[in-house]
Amino acid sequence: MAAHDINLPYVPTWCAGCGDYGIFMALKKAMTSLNLDLEQTVLATGIGCSSKIGQYMNTYRIETLHGRSLPVATGVKLANHNLTVIAEGGDGDGMGLGMGHFVHTARRNIDITYFIHNNQIYGLTKGQSSPTSDLGAVTKFTPAPLGNVEHPINIVKMALNVGATFVARAFVGNSTQLVSLMEQAISHPGFAVIDILQPCVSFNHTNTYQWYQQRAKPIEEMEGYDPADLEKALIFAGLWGEQIPIGLYYQTLRPTFQDSLPQLSHQPLAQQKIDNIDITGLMQKLY
Amino acid sequence: MNKSYYTCLFGGEAGYGVMSAGSIIAKGANRSGLWSFVVNEYPSLIQGGLNSCLVRLSNKPITAYEETIDFLGLFSQQAFDCYADKLSPSAIVLYDAATTKIDATKVPEGTLLCPVALASSIPKGGAKIMINSAMLGAFAAFTGYPKQVLIDVMKTEFHNEKVQQENIQILDEVYHLVMETLSSSKVFPFPFEPKAEPKMLINGNEAISIAAIKAGCKFSAGYPMTPGSSVLSYLADHGAEYGLVFKQAEDEIAAINMLIGASFAGTRAIGSTSGGGFALMVEALGFAAQAEIPLVMVNAQRGGPSTGLPTRTAQADLNFVVHASQGEFPRIVLAPGDIEECFYETFRIFNLADTYQVPCIILTDKFLADSSVSQLPFATDSLTIERGKLFEAKEQPYLRYENTPDGVSARAIPGQVGGRHIATSYTHGEDGFYSSGNKEYALNEPMVTINSMDKLYNKLPAMEKEIPAIKFYGPPNADLTIIAWGSTKGAILEAMELAASQNISVNFLQILYISPFPITATELVLQQAKKTLLIEGNKTAQLGSILRANTGHKTDYTFLKYNSRAFLPSEILAKIKEVLF
Ligand SMILES: Cc1ncc(C[n+]2csc(CCOP(=O)(O)OP(=O)(O)O)c2C)c(N)n1
Ligand code: SF4
Repeated sequence: MAAHDINLPYVPTWCAGCGDYGIFMALKKAMTSLNLDLEQTVLATGIGCSSKIGQYMNTYRIETLHGRSLPVATGVKLANHNLTVIAEGGDGDGMGLGMGHFVHTARRNIDITYFIHNNQIYGLTKGQSSPTSDLGAVTKFTPAPLGNVEHPINIVKMALNVGATFVARAFVGNSTQLVSLMEQAISHPGFAVIDILQPCVSFNHTNTYQWYQQRAKPIEEMEGYDPADLEKALIFAGLWGEQIPIGLYYQTLRPTFQDSLPQLSHQPLAQQKIDNIDITGLMQKLY
Repeated sequence: MNKSYYTCLFGGEAGYGVMSAGSIIAKGANRSGLWSFVVNEYPSLIQGGLNSCLVRLSNKPITAYEETIDFLGLFSQQAFDCYADKLSPSAIVLYDAATTKIDATKVPEGTLLCPVALASSIPKGGAKIMINSAMLGAFAAFTGYPKQVLIDVMKTEFHNEKVQQENIQILDEVYHLVMETLSSSKVFPFPFEPKAEPKMLINGNEAISIAAIKAGCKFSAGYPMTPGSSVLSYLADHGAEYGLVFKQAEDEIAAINMLIGASFAGTRAIGSTSGGGFALMVEALGFAAQAEIPLVMVNAQRGGPSTGLPTRTAQADLNFVVHASQGEFPRIVLAPGDIEECFYETFRIFNLADTYQVPCIILTDKFLADSSVSQLPFATDSLTIERGKLFEAKEQPYLRYENTPDGVSARAIPGQVGGRHIATSYTHGEDGFYSSGNKEYALNEPMVTINSMDKLYNKLPAMEKEIPAIKFYGPPNADLTIIAWGSTKGAILEAMELAASQNISVNFLQILYISPFPITATELVLQQAKKTLLIEGNKTAQLGSILRANTGHKTDYTFLKYNSRAFLPSEILAKIKEVLF
């Protein structure tokens, strides 16, 4: 597969300079270097600027409802566990409406990769506060002087706490690392999450490229780093200020949900023959 | 005695096996050439409260029930207080004087009051639930229902050998005790045929579940909500051996989205819930419609609004289900009226969902979902799977939403070579691309919008033609035409029989598929109708308003019942007489 196989003839409508371009490019690179079969790949997105990524990628795609990419991805994966299933969307999409699904998908450890475009703002609806907005953030719905008074959700901490088996944070400004993390996440058997820091140049004038650049530090260069140690990962996840660690926080292997289902042991559900199913036994049980 | 029905009712607190007592009697009858109808009533309580199980038996098929009780088996005082006034003349009342005080002034004259020490016949340390075996022993002794039939059912019901033996022994002992000490009246009116072909004892939710398995459904997801849950638990329990995966989701929103994902990936899927859960699913219902992903959902109605009456029946979600969602789109709403329709129409609706790529809703209610009846095995030889238009690799370029004359375009399934596409919740063009995704595309937005909406609605003519949407019963030129939908069917048919025996001529238009509304077929019937009577289990005559909107017909009379209980044939007959005379 070549990178251009993934392209469609549509020009994305993201604002010039939007971080979504960087994520789009990185995803194409990661998929190319993994040599993913595009016919066997499903991308499930939510709704938001970030979720438009599905419109521009030539795989099988399903653009769901706001916040619902994960349950749809779960249905796809259970119906055909041979597919590579990637879910994608924004911080509002995933941590607002989608939060319940996020928690439960992680706990289930179903083999889905989840990329969250985290711009700490609602882009597509033009600048409201997000569950990941910093304290004090001034947005359309949290005006000055107070700004946002709610504690932000730390996606990495959240993912670690609810049982995701691959948890990373990346920054679009560090494309090499982002591509590599995406490759690892897609290859990881289990629920893999990457919190991708992504500037919104139109509506978030605080968390800019420069802001993230100044803070983002490769986690593997930090003292005591051990991606096999959940406790340590949680300590690193607590760093959100002068330093924001980027890289793989934690990875472990746990049986995946689909591996624990005997029904899926030999053939995907979608490939089972459905003609002439004999229900005589079920009827006789009711005599 | 010349009776056409024999009705037993067992009542008591949860934990006494009230319902299993009833189903053992019904199953025994089903295996011996008789027909049964079993209605369970229970509050939304885990302990205490009044559970009751009514079993109506006959030597011909039964489609409804009446609360005229020939045998009342009491496990609690409350059961007596609640049902004393429903006893038929010379009924038997069986009770344990240690737990239940009988006020003889409250029962009709001629009632046989039969005290039996049920509780004390349980061996020390035995479970309270065994009292129902004592009850069954006494039941057989008093009525003449063959004891051996009950024992044979118990042998297949209890899988644990020890439990089985203990229960049979209790039944036997109490049977002999009654035979020796009390006068048995042997009133059971129907002969048993030991060699008869067995029938199933099956409720609506079981029929739907079995049909789904037969239809090749391999995935189900849901979140428990009475009375929809038993479809889910049936599939969780029996599905795996057919390769089906059931996933309990975190909520109804997740459940329906999982179903959509699975269906998109090529697997037939079904979900089941009740009104409250359906309310949460509405957003995704529109998504399935917009993305043209086949979807099959069951809404087993209970009382409402809101959490309403979890364990009682109603027909009040019709308007909601027919119109649910923002925007407009065609959908299929099926309202089965009996067990056969639950089975055959559920099988058909999977084919319709694939053929038309629209959301399909099976609208039942607690009464139909939860009441069990005798049913001969379903005939499955002629049931064939139709998957609709499927993409074949040679057609290039592939447009998932190609504008065809009948509005239906070929589906490609992830994994298929050459079928890559986007399925989306946005209004989109033929390739699935949407108007705000690209500047050039935006210029065409009004056209794309019209075309995509017309495409959805272009499916209607074929849907209306193919779907067998109405059923008609009775003489064409009757004095009165009843119009109804769903589970009222059984009571109406029995009321019509009663009416016919009194030379009252009534016919019945059953609306089986309510959306798309069968305008032509309905109008044909209405043209012949002399007087019309609408019967529905809701407050606002919901089918009435749909009928009026589609045909302009306002029924002459309405009979609405919304007291949380199902219609009885006798009350329908009374209404027929009131209207006609
Ligand atoms: C049920 C529902 N509620 C609200 C919206 C409106 N809406 C569209 S995108 C969006 C927020 C997107 O924010 P985010 O997920 O952070 O993505 P971004 O646009 O920043 O990439 C909202 C609220 C919707 N489409 N559906
Ligand atoms: S609004 Fe923000 S997130 Fe959306 S495209 Fe523009 S820059 Fe990107």
